[in-house]
Amino acid sequence: MMPQIIEADKKMVLVCCGTGCLANGSMEVYQELQQQLANSNVNVSTYTKATGCNGWCEKGPLVKIMPDDITYCQVAAKDVAEVIAKTIGKGELINRLLYRDPKTKQRVKSHHQIDFYKKQHKVALRNIGEIDPASIEDYISRDGYQALNKVLHTMGPGQVVEEVIRSGLRGRGGGGFPTGQKWKACTDVEASVRYIICNGDEGDPGAFMDRSIMEGDPHTVIEGMIIGAYAVEATAGFIYVRDEYSLAVKNLGIAIQDARQKGFLGENILGSRLSFDIEIVRGGGAFVCGEETALMASIEGNVGEPRDKYVYPTEKGLWGQPTVINNVETWANLPVIINDGAEAWASIGTEGSKGTKVFSLVGKVINTGLVEVPMGTTLREIIYEIGGGILNKRKFKAVQTGGPSGGCIPAEMLDMPVDFDSLTEAGSMMGSGGLIVMDDRTCMVEIARYYVNFLAGESCGKCTPCREGLKAMLEILSNFCQGKGSDADLQFLMDTSETMQMMSLCALGRTAANPVLSTLRYFKDEYLAHIHEQHCPAGVCRDLTEFYIDPEPCTGCGLCAQHCPVEAISGEKKEAHVIDQAICIRCGECRNQCKFDAVMIR
Amino acid sequence: MKIMIDQQVLEVNPGVTILEAARQHGIHIPTLCYHEAFGGQGMCRMCMVEVRTSHSRKVVAACTYPVQSGIEVQTSTPEIEKGRRTIVALLYRNAPDSGFMQKLYTDYDCLENGLAVNNGERCILCRLCVRACEEIGSSAISAVLRGTEKRIGTPFDEASAVCIGCAACANICPTEAIAVEQTDQDRTIWNRTFTMVQCRSCGRSFATREQLDYISQKTGLAGLDLEVCDLCRKKKLAAKIEQFAR
Amino acid sequence: MAACIDMQELSSILTRYPPEQRYILAIMQDIQGEYKYLPKTGLQMISDYVDAPLSRIYSMATFYKAFSLVPKGRINFKVCDGTACHIKGSSIIMDQIDKYLNIKPGETTADQEFSMETVNCLGACALAPVVVANEKVHPKVTSSGIIEIIKVYGGPNDAADN
Repeated sequence: MMPQIIEADKKMVLVCCGTGCLANGSMEVYQELQQQLANSNVNVSTYTKATGCNGWCEKGPLVKIMPDDITYCQVAAKDVAEVIAKTIGKGELINRLLYRDPKTKQRVKSHHQIDFYKKQHKVALRNIGEIDPASIEDYISRDGYQALNKVLHTMGPGQVVEEVIRSGLRGRGGGGFPTGQKWKACTDVEASVRYIICNGDEGDPGAFMDRSIMEGDPHTVIEGMIIGAYAVEATAGFIYVRDEYSLAVKNLGIAIQDARQKGFLGENILGSRLSFDIEIVRGGGAFVCGEETALMASIEGNVGEPRDKYVYPTEKGLWGQPTVINNVETWANLPVIINDGAEAWASIGTEGSKGTKVFSLVGKVINTGLVEVPMGTTLREIIYEIGGGILNKRKFKAVQTGGPSGGCIPAEMLDMPVDFDSLTEAGSMMGSGGLIVMDDRTCMVEIARYYVNFLAGESCGKCTPCREGLKAMLEILSNFCQGKGSDADLQFLMDTSETMQMMSLCALGRTAANPVLSTLRYFKDEYLAHIHEQHCPAGVCRDLTEFYIDPEPCTGCGLCAQHCPVEAISGEKKEAHVIDQAICIRCGECRNQCKFDAVMIR
Repeated sequence: MKIMIDQQVLEVNPGVTILEAARQHGIHIPTLCYHEAFGGQGMCRMCMVEVRTSHSRKVVAACTYPVQSGIEVQTSTPEIEKGRRTIVALLYRNAPDSGFMQKLYTDYDCLENGLAVNNGERCILCRLCVRACEEIGSSAISAVLRGTEKRIGTPFDEASAVCIGCAACANICPTEAIAVEQTDQDRTIWNRTFTMVQCRSCGRSFATREQLDYISQKTGLAGLDLEVCDLCRKKKLAAKIEQFAR
Repeated sequence: MAACIDMQELSSILTRYPPEQRYILAIMQDIQGEYKYLPKTGLQMISDYVDAPLSRIYSMATFYKAFSLVPKGRINFKVCDGTACHIKGSSIIMDQIDKYLNIKPGETTADQEFSMETVNCLGACALAPVVVANEKVHPKVTSSGIIEIIKVYGGPNDAADN
């Protein structure tokens, strides 16, 4: 068993084994570390721990050494010997493995000093990267299951509901509905059987907050759910996990078993009259199953088709019983709300949006990863101070928030505080927290087409406005990307969007037009350039773009030709190079590589 | 309870939908996927109506929205009509050869939108065929795939082992989208050919062998008793009633 | 591969679960995990086991993209087309795979060696663009990098020489 508090002469090495770092080889690092430590003659007693995602996948594999508070980045298996000999054995820092701050150009010892982490305020992510997700003892040593104990022995179910209402917690999955109110509605319905569901079907492309929480700190979700079960007097719970998240399924499974063994799940939990257990249900690869009525249909053994929600799930949900469905991040906040109290938890955030929010900051930003900040932090702070600004020194163009149901926010609005209401006013939404940063090499018409294409495949296909509306919009947007289309098509897009918003069966259909509407609102000139001039200003739409080399600035260095994946560039050394249009696939690699700005787009 | 539809105050039973309440009182709300035998499906969205309560105003599907005391319903507003027109225009693309859709297209004053049209096809995905097959038949067909690829079919698009060839699906289809090849000897539907049975009274081919076997199995009635067509059966029944009436 | 399905083995997967409708999805996932696709006989077995019409089972098998009704290749490339991967060039990677292996998303090569599919966001957005070959995650794949990857998995020898 590995202790959380390290004794004076011992060290703890935490290796990030979230999906991101695993893909970069962190398991090899972890195994190498264990092996070498076992055979090492270094005179320091060392524990190793495989943790969940630290959120900074950009710099992984991440290795932290405690109590020295050293963070090493991009560690490879071949570095392990040196880490053991120098850092563990002699307390010496290995400079090349430390993060180099681009502003000060200095090497930084601890992740606490790095902007990416410094400005974050971790609540839902409080344990991830610090604990072994497969160890219930780790969770317990960090106040784990204290909230459950408090709730079962010092609070009545009604009091718990009141506390959640007072906290002002709003659903973190996208809807932003007040959680306490949802629980209250469930308790208002007479029933002998009630259900609790955790919606782990995180489907917004670019969002992986819930994945990290389920993989890296499964117990916070479980504890949250048990607290919820007590509050609404539920007897059974389900965690619906997206099919693609196999590590999350595995770690949740281990956590549930361990929780049962410790008496946190099962009959008469901790001696109380609450009996509750949790089952994991794997999704089948359907974005629409994130919609709660589709999710319930899926659990019941059907296709994931939503139904009209004129009767809410809190009244008639799973198998017709009152059901509370909340998102992973929502559940993860509950133990903290109970432990710290509603006021303390709500002391951060804005008037209408209390607490923190986990965002996945991805795309053309330098520091990609997971970021948890107080509600009300501005987009600029997130993208520039935490994210480090735009990749390759390019220009910011827009940030997509709220996934396919959301919209794009342009540069003029970067100082907007991020909270539920501000984002909705700007024509977007919070959604699950995806922030996709786009630069000037992103075509907004193509982005609209991309999202509509995604939704056309993910729509359940049951209702006419969504299914047929998306089909028609996709045809029109694809035409635009080829330089075809007319102003009449733009009008048709608007009309169809209105119909979809008003008449679709579920939220997927009702918000499916958002990507089109928001890009039209802020980037109409791009649409017009495509339609009227057959020109793609961003240089992305394949049929409308040509890359060519301007002989003036070209020095003939050959860097472009070296990197061209299809060998479309030819030229003698020190002489202007040429791109063969017949072969060129418009990947833009030459433009990325050229140091003389010689590669142009027309 | 009392509700109002198009300025008329109506007395309705709790538990019915707005559409059912409207139909009970002869008020018309357009539908494409509704059939009184199956109830509302909430799929076509033509029946959307505006509902006002004391504190809200929203647009809902009449075929699935349960009545509540005191609501005021408008079955048509300019926005709703615009929406219905768009739905018809979109569905017309799927079924341009169907007389049913052609009529709706003119009724709703739809405009040309220059989008590609699905020639030869006729399905508007109202799924009445699927419901009929579930209720009357043997659940041989269902809605397959997802999103814009959604369509109706038998498993693997192969001849279904459980299909009884009753053609209830084809009969209920508003756009004649289901092909049936019919002769006196056989009927071909959904890639399978069934042998027709002749009525023992009048000799007319009226049902498939499989259909009668299925009914026999479900009802326990002897096969031979079933080999009488509905017209002759009615005649026989009428004769019996006349006998009793004397 | 498709011909030799062991009925006994298939049946034992079903009996891991009670014969109830709510376990249809789980049964299908186990079958898909074991055989890399859902054999026709498997669907019929599920229909009989939970007493639900075959048409409903088939609807579910075609609705949920986790399932394939045709066997995948020996190496199955899953190209992530989530937003982050998309703006970093996932379509170019798909074009490259098409160019060298002659398959589009959803297709398998004639010799059943390779197949490709697009997947929605895998949740590794910081490593965009991501390609998963069987279970192995390949981060930050470039347009030339994918050619190397194809070669490593035994792709056509002329892949790198174009």
